[in-house]
Parts: sequence; C-alpha cells; structure tokens
Amino acid sequence: MSAFGWLTYAWNVQLLGPAALRINRWLSESRDKRGSRWNAETLAPPLKISFKNKELVGRHWLEGRYANLRHKVAWVTSGAPVEIFKALDYYVLYPENHAAICGTARVAVELSCEAENAGYSRDICSYARTDFGTLLSGKTPVGRLPKPDLLVACTNICQTVLFWYRVLARHFHVPLIVIDTPFVYYKEASAHALDYVMRQLEEAISVAERVAGKSLEERRLRTTARLSKMASELWLEIMGRNAHRPAPISVIDQFIQMAPIVEMRGDPETVDFYAAMLEEVDQRIRQGIGAVKNERKRLLWDNLPVWYRLRYLAEFLGEHGIALVASTYTNAWGELAPMIDPDGGMDAMARAYTYPILNRGTRYKLETMREMIERFDLDGVILHSDRSCKPYSIGQMDQRDRLLKDHDTPALLLEADHNDSRSFSEEQIANRLAAFVEMLGVEKWQRSAHWG
Amino acid sequence: MSSMLHLKLPGRSDAIRSFKAQGGKIAGVLPIHYPRALLRSFNLLPVEIWGPPRIDPVFGSAHLQPYICSIVRNALSFVQTNPFQTVDVLLVPHACDSLQGLGSILLDFVPPEQPVLPLYLPRGQGMNKASFLQKELETLYQKLKNITGYSPSQDEMMQKILYEEEADQKLASLHRQRRNLPLSDIEFYCLIRAREFLPAEKFSEIAQQILDQVRDEILSGIPIVISGILPEPMALLNEITQMGGMIAADDLACSGRRLYPPGRSQEPFLRMAESLLGAAPSWSWGSPIQDRLEHLMGLIQASEAKGVVFYNIKFCEPELFDLPSLREGLQAAAIPSTVVEVDINDPLSNQMLTRIEAFLEMIA
Repeated sequence: MSAFGWLTYAWNVQLLGPAALRINRWLSESRDKRGSRWNAETLAPPLKISFKNKELVGRHWLEGRYANLRHKVAWVTSGAPVEIFKALDYYVLYPENHAAICGTARVAVELSCEAENAGYSRDICSYARTDFGTLLSGKTPVGRLPKPDLLVACTNICQTVLFWYRVLARHFHVPLIVIDTPFVYYKEASAHALDYVMRQLEEAISVAERVAGKSLEERRLRTTARLSKMASELWLEIMGRNAHRPAPISVIDQFIQMAPIVEMRGDPETVDFYAAMLEEVDQRIRQGIGAVKNERKRLLWDNLPVWYRLRYLAEFLGEHGIALVASTYTNAWGELAPMIDPDGGMDAMARAYTYPILNRGTRYKLETMREMIERFDLDGVILHSDRSCKPYSIGQMDQRDRLLKDHDTPALLLEADHNDSRSFSEEQIANRLAAFVEMLGVEKWQRSAHWG
Repeated sequence: MSSMLHLKLPGRSDAIRSFKAQGGKIAGVLPIHYPRALLRSFNLLPVEIWGPPRIDPVFGSAHLQPYICSIVRNALSFVQTNPFQTVDVLLVPHACDSLQGLGSILLDFVPPEQPVLPLYLPRGQGMNKASFLQKELETLYQKLKNITGYSPSQDEMMQKILYEEEADQKLASLHRQRRNLPLSDIEFYCLIRAREFLPAEKFSEIAQQILDQVRDEILSGIPIVISGILPEPMALLNEITQMGGMIAADDLACSGRRLYPPGRSQEPFLRMAESLLGAAPSWSWGSPIQDRLEHLMGLIQASEAKGVVFYNIKFCEPELFDLPSLREGLQAAAIPSTVVEVDINDPLSNQMLTRIEAFLEMIA
C-alpha cells in the first residue's frame, strides 16, 4: 500500500471517522432524551444501545469505503464461514446486509429499478436486485462499496445466493468460492455430506490464502471462532430474555440490533456490544419495562423482516397491545452457537454451517416454531410469506395449517417482500392484520381506558 | 419429409404398461438430473414428471404460494393423484429452492402413497464433487434396496449403465445431426423427449432407425437456438415451423443440457457420477455463467443458428439470474436474442407468438 493510501486510511478510518461517529452518537443520545419518533404511548423507548449499534455499523461501512486501501476484501453471504476470512484479515462485506440497509433507507425500489432496467426480472430476490442496482448505478446509502477481491457463496441459506454470486463473479472477474452445503431433508445430515462440506472448507482456505497472499494461522482462526461463539451465545441469551412478561425487547428491536451478529461476527467489539445489550435488557426486566406497553398478546414472527415497514408493524401491533416476542429469523443467528467449537477444526465448522434452519426441512422449521411457542408462551404466529425468499416461504402454508389444527395456535400468512415495497399492499395487509388481531381477541388499546 | 410417420413411437402410458407387464416397476422422477441406470438396476423404469402441463393445479396451490413456478406446483398436484396409478417410488432430485422445497413438503406434510427419495446434486467447484455424488448414489442404492428388497450386483449395474450410455450417445447424435434429420421440430422433440419415459434399449432402437435416415440435405427454415427449461406447450414447435423457423439446437434443461457423456471409471457409482457431472454447463451444477455463454455460443456456431429464443418458465429464478449476462454476451457477439415467459398451464398466447414471429422476421 502506498504512503498516501496508508495515510488516507488512517486519517478516515482510524481518526476522523470514528471521532465523527462518536460525536454523532453523543448528539443522538442527547436528542433522544426529547423522546422517540415512534409511538411512545404504546411502545417502549428505543434501546439505549441502538446508538452504539449505529456507531458500530457506521464504522463498519466507513471502513468499507476505504477497505481496498489496506485489506483484501471478501463479499460473503450471511451464512458463510466468516471466521476463515476474518482470520486472514479480509474486510468482510455482506451484500445482503447492504441490501437490507437500502430497504430500511427506502432506496431499495429505486435501486431495484436500475437492475430491472438492465434486464433483471422482478421475480428474482429483491436483495440481489438492490445490490445489482448499486453495482450498476454506484448509488448506495453507505457511501461506497469496496471492490471485492474474493466472493464467497455458501448455499446454507438458499440456492439463490449461488445464482447471485455467479453474476457477481462475472461482473468483478474475481474468484468465487462456493461452499455447497447439501440440504438436510431428514433429522441429521449424512456423514458424506458433512465430509463434502469439510473438504470444501479446506479448499476455500487455500483459495482465500492465495488471494490474501498469506497463510491462515490456526491460533487466529480459533480466536475468531471463539469470538463468534461468544457473540452468538450472547445474542441467544438476549433473545431468551423474552421469555419474561412483558418481553423486554420486541422482534423489531432484534431486527435492528442484529446487524453486528451478521456482519461483524468474530470481532471483539461485537462481543462487547451484545454484552452491553444484555445488561440493558436485564435492566429493563428489573424495571418491568416491556417493549410494548400493556402487553396483552405475544406473537412469533417467521421469515425475514419487511425492512421498509418495521415502524408500521411495530406501531400497528403495539396499539393493540401485541408484542412480537420471538422470530425464527433472528433466532437463526443464535441457535447454532452451541455447535460452534473453536477447537473442533474444520469438522466442527462443517457441522455448524450445514445446520442453519434454512438448510433444513420444512418439518424442522415447524418444530422450531412449536418449541418457541412453548418456550416464549406465545399466542400466535405471523408467517411472512416473502415473495423474495422462496426457501424460507415454501412450506409455510402447511406450517400454518399444522399450527392451527395440531397446536391450536392462531397463525396468519402475510404476503409481502423483504425489500421491495411494491409487493407490500398496505390496505390488504392492514385488513389481514386487523382480522387476525380480532381473532386473537384484542381491541385497540384506548389510552382513556387505562389511564382513567 | 416426415419419417416419424413410419415409426411407432410409444406413448408414456404404453411404455409404462409394457414395462409393468414384464414385471417391472415405475419410478416417478422430478427434474432435472438423476441416475437412470441406478433405477433400472432395480427394475424401475424412470418416468419423468415435468409438471406436467395443463393439469388442475388446485392441490399444489393449496400448499404453495403463487410465486412458485408452475412446474413445481403442477408436480405437487400430479403426484398426489398417483399418476398412472402405477408409480412405485418418487425420486426428487435437488435443483433449485423450489424443487428443494417440494421434496421437503412431500416428505414432511403431504406424503404421497409412494416412498419419496430426495437426491442432492452437488454444485461446488472442487474435485470432491464426483466423490460426493458417488456416495449420494450409494445412499440411494441402499434406500432402493430397502424398498425393493433387491440388491443388484456391480455387473448388473454396469450392464444397465452401458445401456443408458448407449442411449445417451444416440440422443447426442440426434442433437448433433438435427439439421440433417428428416423430422419437423415437433417430431424431433416428441422423439427426444421419449427419453423421459422409454427404456434405454427401446429408445436406442428407435433413435438408430432415425439416425439411419440422416441425409445430406439440410432442413430448411430460419435456424434458432432455444434455451430454457422445457418447450411447453409443444404446440409452440408447430407454430415456429409455420413461421418459417426451425430449432437447430437447444439449451433446454429437459433435453440439450442432459446430453451425458459416458463415465470413465469401472466402479459403477463413480461412473454414473462422472457421466452426470459431464453434462452441459448450467446453474444446476453451479457452472460459471461464462461457461454457459461459451456453451451457447458453441451451439450457435455448430448449428449455424441466427438467434436465440430464451423460453422461460415464470418464476424460474435460476434462469432469470443468468439471462441478462447471457444476452449481454450474445449481443457483444452480434447474436440477436429474445425472451418470452410462459406458465406451463397457459395456452400459447398470441402476444408471445407475435413476439417470436417478429424476432424470426428480424433475423431472417
């Protein structure tokens, strides 16, 4: 790296940027004392840790802007074995997270249109379209995306990522590592499937080493895996705290706070962040604060969030005293924590990365939902039928029927899309939610009724 | 011109009846790739289920969202009716998220009368792809053994493999010599799609009769390449002929992408794996898009085609991801292409036919 590059990086990423983000956090925290923009009558104020989250995520994307000056850059799928690449000093970027940021910033449709104008169908995943839109237009709410030196697609979340990353490989002309994780139709993956994944991990290491120009140190890999495990365990603990009544945080909070566990897994700052978040959540429990004031019903959310309507959902449900308490989606970043074994080598890594919920059968997901309903004492389920996520959505119609018939749990199928607001029919969704709420036997919360 | 008129090409039901009359059983097989020889070793005739088109999709619609492709939706409806009242085993190879989900639903929620066997096909990049597939086929062997109570020997398997390899070679020859065959498009596709249900020996016999009629004369018509999943409704082929076009080569998942070369190994499972992995590049094997493009360019060059029709099934995400890159590559080589999208339950639309006709006029 040139001296100028070194200076640019140091000045922006290590000095000026962090200082600016910290000041921004202080300002936000002081502004926050004036109250939340969200409906404060029915919802608890945002978690204080949100500002730290914003700073942390901001630093991550700031580093991304200048990453090509100092690091090799890997673009990876959210289910990829990131520990390998972190331990090799890659700056790791998650296009799915970038797309989700675009979704919450409500620029996803504009970016999708760029991709659609280039021939990409509206019937492909809206995350992919959003990111293709950024590649084609250069527009992004995070400033600038670093060019990848390496692409890593792990099929444990969907096959779509393979098709998506093949497009990226052609666009960037960089090596693509595919980690193909055979789908687990039955209770256990076969021995030869795990062996197949393990061998691919070994091959991935040699490609990543070649691109990075350095060898992977086992000690660093173990340290990164340990940090990954610690953060995942903390995240799992945080979600587990929602067994309390009232639930201290909502699933909407989890969606917002999950960015570090996805895109900064393996970093010490992520462990610190979730340790602090756990403390705040415990404090809420001690103080009897619920994410939804006057919590009357507790629900499970299945599938990805509707990124561009988080507030709408939170407020609509909050007005009826309904808390989204648990989610199969946020749970996915914690449930594998017990399987992460920093000293277990590639064998353990292959196992952990073969078993995400999205790589398992439809019955497994139903059983996970049933288990969560019991553990969190839930009154119903909202299944987001996500047009852009077929592997998550296929099976939901039967899962809903089983929940209703076999488990006597009310369940609603809500048609939308995680990133494309054109597939969100507000009128229709409001009607369906209203009917579901009525079925749950709750009425809109009346301030006067409770405040006398 | 048509020599098919002199051939008796058995239909799907005839083939099934005849095979069962000889004591055989039937394996219903979903798209795309699978080991025919392994099924035949257990005296199971593979009969493929590509939808099928134009059936009542109500059952499938009660279990799958509207944004799942019609092949998968129809297949779910179809298998529940115990097709032909004769299917003994159902094989669900893995290809995409939708077929993966279908396999899972069939195992977990709406099990048909027959045993359901999923098969995972590798799409990684390394050398261990073949050894994984070999082991996956060995696992399938064990499951079939448990179902049928029969354990075919290695020699029996090798014999079936050789039959299938011969049929595959004949199929490849038919494709290579397409323009010198005295067959219309509809006749050609009826013939090659008979590979979806005919025993290999019978298919080889019929294919050879056609290959014996190869002539120097080149079939007239504006030559095009068709790419996509399957040419349904098949009436499309007659329409293309009437518009003055002819399909000189194809990159269809049901035909051109399944021209398997023979395996090399003397170990039957590995040999079947090698053969499957030798198929044309496609997303179903995780092949780079560049490889697909080069394959397509090779087809165009060999067949002297003047353009490409991408004939897509609505909601087929893997095809849709590759499309812009493939079209861009073709455009760079000055090869025109067009895209049409169909649902296999819909009749041929005039709008689509007009589009193809306009395309043929443009490239003529």
